Amino acid sequence: MTFLAFLARRLAGTIPVLIGISLAAFLLVHLAPGDPARLLMGDRASEEAVAALRDQMGLNNDLATQYLNYMGHLLRADLGQSLRFQRPVLTLIGQFLPATLFLIGYVMVISVPLTVILAVTAARNRDRWPDQFIRLGAIIGMTFPVFWLALMMSRYFGVELGWLPVSGFGEGFTGHLRHLFLPAISISAWLVPLLLRSLRATLIHEMEADYVVAGRSKGLPEGLNFRRHVLMNSLIPTLNLLGVMLAYLIGGAVVVEVVYAVPGIGTLMINAVLGRDFQVIQGVTVVYALLTVLITLCVDLLSALIDPRIKP
Amino acid sequence: MRRNTVAMITAVTAMLTVAPAWAENLIRIGSPYQTTTLDPIRSSAAGNIETFGQLYSRLLRRDADGKMQPGLAEEWTISDDGLELVFTLRDAKFSNGTPIIADDVAFSLTRAIKDEKSAYSATLAAIDSVTAVDSHTVRVTLKHKFAPILENLEVFNAGIVSKADVQARGEQAFVDKPVTSGPYEVREWRPNDRLILEPNPHYWREGYPKNDGAEFIEISNANTRVSMMMSGELEAMREVPWSQLAEMQSRDNVTVALEPSTMIYMTLLNERRPPFDNVKVRQAAAYALNVPAIAKAMTEGHAQPANTTLPSALNYHDKDFPGLPYDPALAQTLLKEGGYDGKELTVLIAPTTDSDKLATLLQAQWSAIGLKTKIEKVDRSVWWERVPAGDYDLAPSWWYNETSDPDLAVRWALCGSCGTYSFQTYYENAEVDQLTEQAVRELDPAKRAALYAQIQRISTDEVAQIPLYYPPYANAYARDLRGLTLSPSLQWSLEEAVLSR
Repeated sequence: MTFLAFLARRLAGTIPVLIGISLAAFLLVHLAPGDPARLLMGDRASEEAVAALRDQMGLNNDLATQYLNYMGHLLRADLGQSLRFQRPVLTLIGQFLPATLFLIGYVMVISVPLTVILAVTAARNRDRWPDQFIRLGAIIGMTFPVFWLALMMSRYFGVELGWLPVSGFGEGFTGHLRHLFLPAISISAWLVPLLLRSLRATLIHEMEADYVVAGRSKGLPEGLNFRRHVLMNSLIPTLNLLGVMLAYLIGGAVVVEVVYAVPGIGTLMINAVLGRDFQVIQGVTVVYALLTVLITLCVDLLSALIDPRIKP
Repeated sequence: MRRNTVAMITAVTAMLTVAPAWAENLIRIGSPYQTTTLDPIRSSAAGNIETFGQLYSRLLRRDADGKMQPGLAEEWTISDDGLELVFTLRDAKFSNGTPIIADDVAFSLTRAIKDEKSAYSATLAAIDSVTAVDSHTVRVTLKHKFAPILENLEVFNAGIVSKADVQARGEQAFVDKPVTSGPYEVREWRPNDRLILEPNPHYWREGYPKNDGAEFIEISNANTRVSMMMSGELEAMREVPWSQLAEMQSRDNVTVALEPSTMIYMTLLNERRPPFDNVKVRQAAAYALNVPAIAKAMTEGHAQPANTTLPSALNYHDKDFPGLPYDPALAQTLLKEGGYDGKELTVLIAPTTDSDKLATLLQAQWSAIGLKTKIEKVDRSVWWERVPAGDYDLAPSWWYNETSDPDLAVRWALCGSCGTYSFQTYYENAEVDQLTEQAVRELDPAKRAALYAQIQRISTDEVAQIPLYYPPYANAYARDLRGLTLSPSLQWSLEEAVLSR
């Protein structure tokens, strides 16, 4: 019961956040310079034709009218129509979101086990060669710019060796796995070091905590002591970091999406911004916000599962 | 246990690296230009023009050599005074199987001319009326003599759409799967990603298209296009970066083609305010530039330096005109005479390929004669707001022409009274304006050539814009693809392309 109440409270709490974000998105896109009608019609289009299209798009109405119109639709869970493509924004998002979600899931499946294995190895061999080796690797992974690494991997594994496709989302589950392999690796190469350093530091800190010494002096086997106490107590900060990083990746994966031509939500957002497709920008922003809220919620729930002291 | 692990790793590796067999051979074309509408009158932007050409046939068709050939019109007659054209239509059908009749032609052309949201009605502005005489005869009457009428009836926005369908569905007719008259119809359109075309079963040219269809894939990143092309994920790509041309050419499966374009790179000057309202300062800015060196540096020597304000691929381009030579000493004198006060000027650029490089090269040469500039980079949308508003001093950019006839180009870039303010520079010369009208009414090619030569001479000397270079289109094609070319006016010969695998 308390759990359901917690869930209801958290979800209710997101409503003002969403309203605030939708207002901010609306004002940002409408106050920034740029005319979607001109971009749609092309350089040579006459001023009169561009003005007529602006009128049809409803861009000549005052801002308040446009905002009320937009909010009215939003409350009915309708994100409106794309100005450029005259299709529902929801349809467009539905078309681009799966690739991004799949990519992020893929990154998780690669990164989380790898992080835990590497961090534990490093922490348990602190300052010996495996630790030095892993730390050096982590620094290298973090230093490479993601887009450069992505490009180099696509040129080498895709073009020179011909092992993997260098673009797109592919057909079917195995197609997705194939096409998103290099993108997922490119992101993981940057994400794993970040998580790894956090987890390693916490592990080392916890390994010296009084309760561990107490366990050890009671004769608890070292492995059990580590798994059940040190590891569990160290996961929370890294889990929170992972949550923040995932929320960031939903938008931040765009760098990798562009290099590997993955039709993901980041690509949709970039094109919408460049083409001043106001409705799509607003819609994607709201979706970003929703996903961020959901991820944070999941992280909090997981934390409570791992550590009973954290009340949901 | 260990054996299982090995087997699993092998299976996963095999799954990841073995490409599935293709069921059909679509020709995949990667381009940075987007399809944003399927309505042929709604846009004049690059990606859309390419798409329109595949979906909608016109009365005439341009063949591989650039010659005008019969299209939906089998034959035509032009009255002695040149004011009336009568077209006889062939028996052709739309993609939904209904016949294409004179009424559809009259509807489509009238729509392109009169619809208030027709993006580029200028091409057909000389037409007074289009009427259906009977089901197979169309009469086009002109307001005045108009030399490029046949050429302009071949421009993308003169594509024929189905009157019945557009009247029934309105704007919705072009949202998803339009009824088409060209070689292809839309199988699927995923905006921001790709447009998948399949052959129009009722296409009037028998035996065409010679392939299973095509995918226009939008890939903004040039490096990604190159990777895809080299790894065989594309059969054709637009805009090979100049720096990667040689590398691509050296690959076994790819060939690079430099195809003539009607593009011109140039610099706009804001002639509405000082200092460029003064012709001497404009000339100073032009004499300061070593145009051949810029052309070479920008395109690794693949572009021709520009000698006039018009693209070299246009008819009547005056290739003998020497242009304004590189003369820094003269530039300094002119700058002083023009009364330039040393103010720092704004060079406004949009983030296209190499725009930073071009702006930096220009800045260095201008600064050598004492013309101070600062570079401001804004996105395309903002660029298009600031240039018409006159909020810039110099704006290096490019344009191209939809036909090989120079009339539209002159009206776009050099004519002050034609509604475009000479590409928003506000260059205005009454003589050029008058010559523009005179030249388009002149039906004798030799006399027209002389008139356009005069226009080019005046506008280049007065520096309407500073012409820089004429780049070819740098396209790459898979070696097992035959017959695909891109015309100077951005039309793919897709229906003729054959994929041999």
